[in-house]
Amino acid sequence: MRHVSLSRLIRAFAWTGLTSLGGGRSAYFHDQVVVRRPWLTNREFAQDFTLSQILPGPNSSNLGVVIGYRLAGGRGATVAALALLLPGALALLALTIVYFKFGLTPDARPFLRGMGAAVVGLVAMACARLALDVVRTPGAAVVALITFAAVGPLHVNTGLAILLALGVALLLRRRGVGWPAADAEGSPG
Amino acid sequence: MIDLAWLAWTFLWLSFLAVGGGLGVLPEMQRQVTSFGWVTAQQFVDGYSLAQLTPGPNMLVAIFVGYHAHGLLGAAVAGAAMFLPASVVAALAARYRDRLRQLRWAQALEQSLLPIGVGLMAAGTYTLTRSAVHDWLTAAIAVAAFAVLWRGVLPPIAVVVLGGVVGWLAGA
Repeated sequence: MRHVSLSRLIRAFAWTGLTSLGGGRSAYFHDQVVVRRPWLTNREFAQDFTLSQILPGPNSSNLGVVIGYRLAGGRGATVAALALLLPGALALLALTIVYFKFGLTPDARPFLRGMGAAVVGLVAMACARLALDVVRTPGAAVVALITFAAVGPLHVNTGLAILLALGVALLLRRRGVGWPAADAEGSPG
Repeated sequence: MIDLAWLAWTFLWLSFLAVGGGLGVLPEMQRQVTSFGWVTAQQFVDGYSLAQLTPGPNMLVAIFVGYHAHGLLGAAVAGAAMFLPASVVAALAARYRDRLRQLRWAQALEQSLLPIGVGLMAAGTYTLTRSAVHDWLTAAIAVAAFAVLWRGVLPPIAVVVLGGVVGWLAGA
């Protein structure tokens, strides 16, 4: 566990909570805690991201909680979740009241389409940054590709795909194939 | 009162179904909330649009449903049921991981999980691309957003809103 002060944590996460529009929240986190602040390395971010994907529950809040815990313990997790969720919750509540009281019908489709496309660029960029930093050995590249193919185009159940890829990873490591036993990748955070 | 309990219970188990991204759970959520009569199918679609228009997780749509079913109390109950228990589980997992990290085999496991995280993120990017890029306009927006963000001149929110404006202008 690291020690980032709660007020700085609140600022970073409230900003993410206020600005994370249009899906792909993980990329907004990456921007805040890896790119703009030296709080997490890409490797640590990849660890937290994986954990948040394995856990049940809404992914992005899971990721916020896990990162918050890493940075400032239980209080960090609590503060992170609140700062992350409250701005959006209040904004949505306001829109909800307007919707049911005044019958405003949102035809935001063209706007959402453009926004969704821009988010693709955002997520692709965070993913590229992460991959360039974390995937440094042929073995790691193979494992990343297997995971991608299984969960992406092949639509294998996520939990099953992770188990499969993990099996391959452990095997490659044990045999020292494409994954130097004396890990050149540094120690885990 | 009983209806509030149902509201809490429904969003609680729906939240735990949302493994690996909330999109998978949407059809089931729509089925549940309309079968209880909390909102109509059309209202749910509109509510999801509103959730996409506001920052934060789209699963906040629980608040929309809760509000229509039971007013402010319903909104609070549904939102808490969606996020609180799952967040507690996530915090416990993070805590347990901190302890495990001292062990050698856990370190090997964590190292092995790293490229898997990258693969998962790539898969998420793929899924998002499939659902959001369907013509040259959306493809151009995605590529332009990538290029601008790579250079780091604008924060993500500015790029995403710009993308929305371009889509809106082109769609009008």
